[in-house]
Amino acid sequence: MSHSQKRSKSIHLHQLRKAFALKPLAVGVAGIMLTACGGSREQSNIYVSPEDCQQDNPEATGQCLAAYESALEEHNRTAPKFDTQNDCEYEFGNDRCQYLQTSSGSFFMPFMAGYMVSQLLQPRPYYSQPLYTSFSPYSPFRSRWVTSNGYVFDGDIRKRSYSAPSSVFEKKPTVNRTIKRGGFGSSVRAKSSWGSSSSKSKGWGG
Amino acid sequence: MFRMASQPRHNWQQLAAEYGFHFHTMYGEPYWDESAYYQFTLQQIEQDIEDPTAELHQMCLHVVDKVVNSEALLTQCQIPQAHWDFIASSWREKQPSLYSRLDLVYNGQSPAKLLENNADTPTSLYETGFWQWLWLENLVNAGKIARHADQFNSLQEKLVYRFEQLRRQYNYQRIHFSCCEDSVEDRGTVQYLQDCASAAGIDAPFLFVEEIGLSDTGYFTDLDDNAITHCFKLYPWEFMLREEFGDALEAADVGWLEPPWKSVLSNKALLPLLWQAFPNHPNLLPAFFEQDKHRTTGGKWIKKPLFSREGANISLLNDDDSPTTLSDGPYGEEGFILQQYHPLPRYGDQYVLIGSWLVDDLPAGISIREDRSLITQDLSRYLPHIIL
Repeated sequence: MSHSQKRSKSIHLHQLRKAFALKPLAVGVAGIMLTACGGSREQSNIYVSPEDCQQDNPEATGQCLAAYESALEEHNRTAPKFDTQNDCEYEFGNDRCQYLQTSSGSFFMPFMAGYMVSQLLQPRPYYSQPLYTSFSPYSPFRSRWVTSNGYVFDGDIRKRSYSAPSSVFEKKPTVNRTIKRGGFGSSVRAKSSWGSSSSKSKGWGG
Repeated sequence: MFRMASQPRHNWQQLAAEYGFHFHTMYGEPYWDESAYYQFTLQQIEQDIEDPTAELHQMCLHVVDKVVNSEALLTQCQIPQAHWDFIASSWREKQPSLYSRLDLVYNGQSPAKLLENNADTPTSLYETGFWQWLWLENLVNAGKIARHADQFNSLQEKLVYRFEQLRRQYNYQRIHFSCCEDSVEDRGTVQYLQDCASAAGIDAPFLFVEEIGLSDTGYFTDLDDNAITHCFKLYPWEFMLREEFGDALEAADVGWLEPPWKSVLSNKALLPLLWQAFPNHPNLLPAFFEQDKHRTTGGKWIKKPLFSREGANISLLNDDDSPTTLSDGPYGEEGFILQQYHPLPRYGDQYVLIGSWLVDDLPAGISIREDRSLITQDLSRYLPHIIL
């Protein structure tokens, strides 16, 4: 056993102070700025079309097209989806959304604005990921690149080259809509309805 | 190990308001109590608590390994058969854990004895990791406690470090944090964990357990219909497995904290299984399943349900085998275990229970709770401690 200090050396008190803490404007978007992340990174480039990619990689026209197509496929599967055109345009801007009819219903989703590829010229499989941007004045994504996971890239839309953590290229689970809520938590109601003078209802931690 | 009377900080309630410690008084009764503290020697902490805590944890993991590989033991632990694969594969995949708390009986002299393992949903985390740390800092700075006094409490440091590991090694970039509605204490505990995760660079949104949704594609969703890929839940596995969304768990592919294999440890079947695997270990109390009652040899025994919370549904079997109900409750339908009666040590008119924390498998500090009654119930008080 070490005989050094047995308690936390320092605690940043300001991080735990709650009374004057400002609430973030948009939870979930405040999210992960890529520069703040650790983990392995991939040098990645963003292109807005296969031609854009080919110009940059004249020796890889086939890969550019294939990467575009796989991003488009992923886009159809995982793009943020909305019930109404209004909701979608509020986030992404006027005329920036497309209508989509699928077996599980109809939606509105933003157009794919670009795609990010890495390792295009490596013998290893390259990664490709659809990207979006917003023209809406109400959106924190305005003039930024954002993935369907909601990762916002730091820097504005003109920046086309990033060292991105590999997690950006992970496939996002498909969700079209939530069909039900409240499927967890019922035991609480059941057990809490039991009344006793010796104990009072509280949480379920132990 | 002493109980020392102490002058409460004049501004502690104001500090509590500033830092968002809202459950220092619950149901009109004090919960946080700084009118006294417990004092340990370094040797007591390291040899009697820290080392046994690490060892007990390894012994518990040994039991998990046995249980998930045995249909007979899974049955004996009352784990629903439909979830055996879900739980066993979480163990085989070595899905990472975050924390747990062992409840120990310790009087400063005899070996600490394991009463229970709160491996799934332990609380009193914020009071331990932060609030008692701040108390010592304040009292040392005010000259009330010697500057070289220390505290067994690296909980916050280790939690932040663990979250960093989860982010870097296991790719936990965003964790949804969740607990039940209507509990200030649970919400406070979860908020603290969110703060620790944020400090480690993890995106840490919150939603209530009751708000979790299920998508058309079989994933769990948050209120914005985002898929939940990683989730901390301060909600017991034994409930989740039996509720409506229990059937969706396997396909939903969530990285859970705590992982599903913790359902083996939060189950009181652990206690007889530990005694079977490590008989006469100095830090264990003899324990048996109720059906093996004939193997208990005289003396007093405590009868506890396999699943229970807040010390509910406990009775004492006296020397003549007559039961005395110590606490009522809604539990017990899944069966009972017997554990040898080992009274909590008494300081003045207070009975004392020590909670010994682990972050993953590293001992990380203690919390001390006092109660006027023999079973530490919900309304016991939390007292700080020092090492001197």
